[in-house]
Amino acid sequence: MTDLQRRAFLKSSAVALGAAMLGVSPGVSAAAPKARVLVVGGGFGGTIAAKYLTMADPAIRVTLIEKDPVFLSCAMSNEVLSGERDLKDLTFGYRGLARRGIAVVQDEILEIDPVAHFIRGASGGRYNYDKLILSPGVSFRWDRIEGLTQEVAERFPHAWKAGPQTLKLRQQLEAMEDGGVFIITAPPNPFRCPPGPYERAAQVAHYFTKHKPKSKILILDAKDAFSKQGLFQAGWKQHYGDMIEWVSGASGGIVEGIDPKTGTLIGQVEEFQGQVINPIPHQKAGTLAESAGLTDASGWCPVDQRTFASTLHPDIHVIGDACIAGTMPKSGYAANSQAKVCAAAIVAAVSGAPTPEPSYVNTCYSLIAPEHGISVAGVYALADGRIVEVEGAGGISPSDADDRIRAVEARFAHDWFRNITADMFT
Amino acid sequence: MRHRASLSLCALGLLTSLNLQAAGVRSPSMLANTCAGCHGTNGTSAGAQMPSIGGMDNGYLFSVLSDYKLGVRPSTIMGRIMKGYSDQEIWAIAAFFGEQPWVSTDQVAVADRIHAGREIHERQCESCHEDGGRGQHNESPRMAGQWSGYLRYALEICRDIGRRCHPNKMGERVMALSDQEIEALAGFYESEK
Ligand SMILES: Cc1cc2nc3c(=O)[nH]c(=O)nc-3n(C[C@H](O)[C@H](O)[C@H](O)COP(=O)(O)OP(=O)(O)OC[C@H]3O[C@@H](n4cnc5c(N)ncnc54)[C@H](O)[C@@H]3O)c2cc1C
Repeated sequence: MTDLQRRAFLKSSAVALGAAMLGVSPGVSAAAPKARVLVVGGGFGGTIAAKYLTMADPAIRVTLIEKDPVFLSCAMSNEVLSGERDLKDLTFGYRGLARRGIAVVQDEILEIDPVAHFIRGASGGRYNYDKLILSPGVSFRWDRIEGLTQEVAERFPHAWKAGPQTLKLRQQLEAMEDGGVFIITAPPNPFRCPPGPYERAAQVAHYFTKHKPKSKILILDAKDAFSKQGLFQAGWKQHYGDMIEWVSGASGGIVEGIDPKTGTLIGQVEEFQGQVINPIPHQKAGTLAESAGLTDASGWCPVDQRTFASTLHPDIHVIGDACIAGTMPKSGYAANSQAKVCAAAIVAAVSGAPTPEPSYVNTCYSLIAPEHGISVAGVYALADGRIVEVEGAGGISPSDADDRIRAVEARFAHDWFRNITADMFT
Repeated sequence: MRHRASLSLCALGLLTSLNLQAAGVRSPSMLANTCAGCHGTNGTSAGAQMPSIGGMDNGYLFSVLSDYKLGVRPSTIMGRIMKGYSDQEIWAIAAFFGEQPWVSTDQVAVADRIHAGREIHERQCESCHEDGGRGQHNESPRMAGQWSGYLRYALEICRDIGRRCHPNKMGERVMALSDQEIEALAGFYESEK
């Protein structure tokens, strides 16, 4: 080491020590750990990977690095738009994980060195790893809708990451006059939460029906079909009549630009004017995955679907929205399930055991009205190296279910949220 | 009867543990951890209508999960999910949750309801659901400390389908209960930790 290098190293380790510890972790032993695993991203995937690694093998030293002091869940955030839920019900802290012996650090990771096996944070901190797990979620493609930039999105919120954006959209809906038009633009596949835009339309319609019954909701879609489509369209009609109109890509729903001055959306065929506009941007893997060279031409991360090890850098695993996971959707439940498979594979790898045979599940509930829930489920297995749905299993709620079943599913939706967040944070 | 059922479950259990040695077999924890997204870590539910399943009798879980798969037990989503597993895998899931500790809810019920529920329990349920619903075997689940929201839901379904509720004697007794009685029973069991 040259003097300069040594000085830089000392400096960065000092900062690393100073990086905010979000919780105290008892029982950190001085003995050499079996392996050092870093998990970046404390959301649906990352929290579960950290927790299940620790549960399966306490001899592994697990550090969870998250840029924000608390987590804000996107799931159930459409209920904030309808006024059924407060943002603070979607906010979770990391104490429960720290109590499990996981070191929780607040830092934004900016750089990954896959060869030397370390990462570096905005705090200047440097963290070494034997295995690295990334669950950074999605980032937005600001080059796909002309005029839609990150600054413009401050005025026309996407609310596709929960937090200030969600509140801003809620405020705009509250300020809108009765009789106004609310426009959602739905992105092309693949994107985070395939049923999300359509649940959002229903939740906003629920609010409009009570407070602004003359208003309209227009969904301009880049696609010609969407998740649970039949159930959504029947539910919209049942509760909200003609309030919600869906325009498919083929019938002019594809939006190519936005004029921020006039609030006009420029479609392939015609222009659309709305009082509140919610353009949901096209998506790709989280910025960190891209800058670390973990993405392919699709913008997402190719992985070995048995272990979630990147096919580009094998000691880095990518889970959740950012990865390519066969036919699994980009959902919180899928991220949770992938995290467990990934944790089991890493435990086996550092113990010299054979890679376990994986099992995955997805379940997504959507709320059309407070007493009307619908669901989609999928059971997945690995076949020829690809995650595929087990035939004959899974599927959506029956189209002819009665009101009581819909109400039961609405309650199960809320119970799902209680349980998955308890699985993440306790 | 009960004896024979648990013997065959043992045989199946043996079979599964032998299978586990083979490549391509999914381990009990691998299969069961996917359930936690709705039923909580190790099957301890955070509520309120979602049942806790960790610490339940493995024979009971096996028969309920199999009934979901076969479509003979009504469900919203469990039927769709269980169709994705072999009988051996269902046994592995049941065995995993059977080994977890039971954790009772921390909910307390209204005293009047508890007393009313206890009366019904002693008159009609205690013969199978011994020790205030703490006892369990392959035909009767643990109910003490279970979420009352779930108990109410399960009893209502049983009342609806009457004799088709499994086992028959359960359907026959629950069929006659009023809404208030079901609520009292659910509150009683939840408060029995
Ligand atoms: C409106 C809406 C509704 C939804 N509803 C549901 C639902 O009902 N059910 C469901 O299953 N899913 C739902 N989802 C989808 C769900 O939110 C995502 O699929 C899930 O969050 C993916 O998990 P993840 O771990 O990949 O990313 P996230 O949960 O977003 O976690 C990523 C974390 O990484 C952190 N991070 C990113 N980069 C860095 C860095 N460089 N350094 C440090 N930290 C970093 C972020 O701050 C974040 O906390 C919904 C989404 C939306 C938008």
